[in-house]
Amino acid sequence: MGVASLVLGIIALVFGLIPVVDWIGIILSIPGIILGAIGKKKGMSCATAGLVISIIALVLSSILYIACIACASAAGAFN
Amino acid sequence: MHPFIHFGSLSLPGYGLSITFGAVLANVIAALMIRKRGEDWLDLILLEAYGLGGAFLGAKLLFLLVNIQKIDWSRIFEKEYFSGVMRGGFVFYGGLILAIIAVFAAAHFHKIDAMRYFREYTFLLPFAHAFGRIGCFMAGCCYGVPYDGRFAVTFPEDSFAPSGISLFPSQPAESVCLFIISAIILILQLTVSFRYSLELYVFLYGICRFFLERFRGDTDRGLYFGLSTSQWIAVLMVTASVIFYLYDRKKISSEEKEQDCVCPSL
Repeated sequence: MGVASLVLGIIALVFGLIPVVDWIGIILSIPGIILGAIGKKKGMSCATAGLVISIIALVLSSILYIACIACASAAGAFN
Repeated sequence: MHPFIHFGSLSLPGYGLSITFGAVLANVIAALMIRKRGEDWLDLILLEAYGLGGAFLGAKLLFLLVNIQKIDWSRIFEKEYFSGVMRGGFVFYGGLILAIIAVFAAAHFHKIDAMRYFREYTFLLPFAHAFGRIGCFMAGCCYGVPYDGRFAVTFPEDSFAPSGISLFPSQPAESVCLFIISAIILILQLTVSFRYSLELYVFLYGICRFFLERFRGDTDRGLYFGLSTSQWIAVLMVTASVIFYLYDRKKISSEEKEQDCVCPSL
């Protein structure tokens, strides 16, 4: 579980920093955080690292990804 | 006002930066409180992660469902088009509903008392939300109606708001309201053992949103029986909060009566 969290966190971090696919970073970092938290509760190795990296990935990809709903609709989602 | 904030050669979107800063700050405050109380912060992290996942999925799914006719499904496997669909557009209430379901499912699955966290850390919701509105102000979305009075704002050309027109500062006004709501809830929790923080938040935000909606000029807000969709939702929020409060009061008083009846026979 800890290793899975770490792997998801690292992949999320990589995707999160690429502007067009930053949404993949958010999608992967969430299960990374869940697995990291469960793993840390059970005292598994790598869980803390996985949790921290997944949180960092979520924060970074959120900064780049989150756009106001009004802004997105103003820009036209399907163009 | 500042859709992008520049750090040397790096440009970051003001909205994303602002709301993420608010969320991170709220989590730091929660972590400090949890540490002081000797509680398990991993429970809160778990609930938040499930909530975020639910919010993302729900908001996106409802958006796709609502716009199913507008999406060009023949192009959905094109990388850029698919990314465009994934990056643009969410429906807030879809996210809210699935986030609540996900949080309570997680609480049940991991045996966490979600209501306790909701009640103790509710003040952080309007706190983080207030930063979101600051982000709106930076991007220029959710802008107000044309207005010449005190605190009127004029947006520059690169923002989403119409430039060069004096507008009502709807985003800072809502942000101030949210900070005040957060402060009221926190003060009540610290001074008296207040158990209705969630109800109070929904009640006060509903009232604020109802009145501030009149000063929003960003979209064509359809009216139903004289009120906009958001105002109807605000009315529902206020009504629901009052009903939950009255229901809980009644439940407590009936429990107290039962205890009074039991005690003399002991």
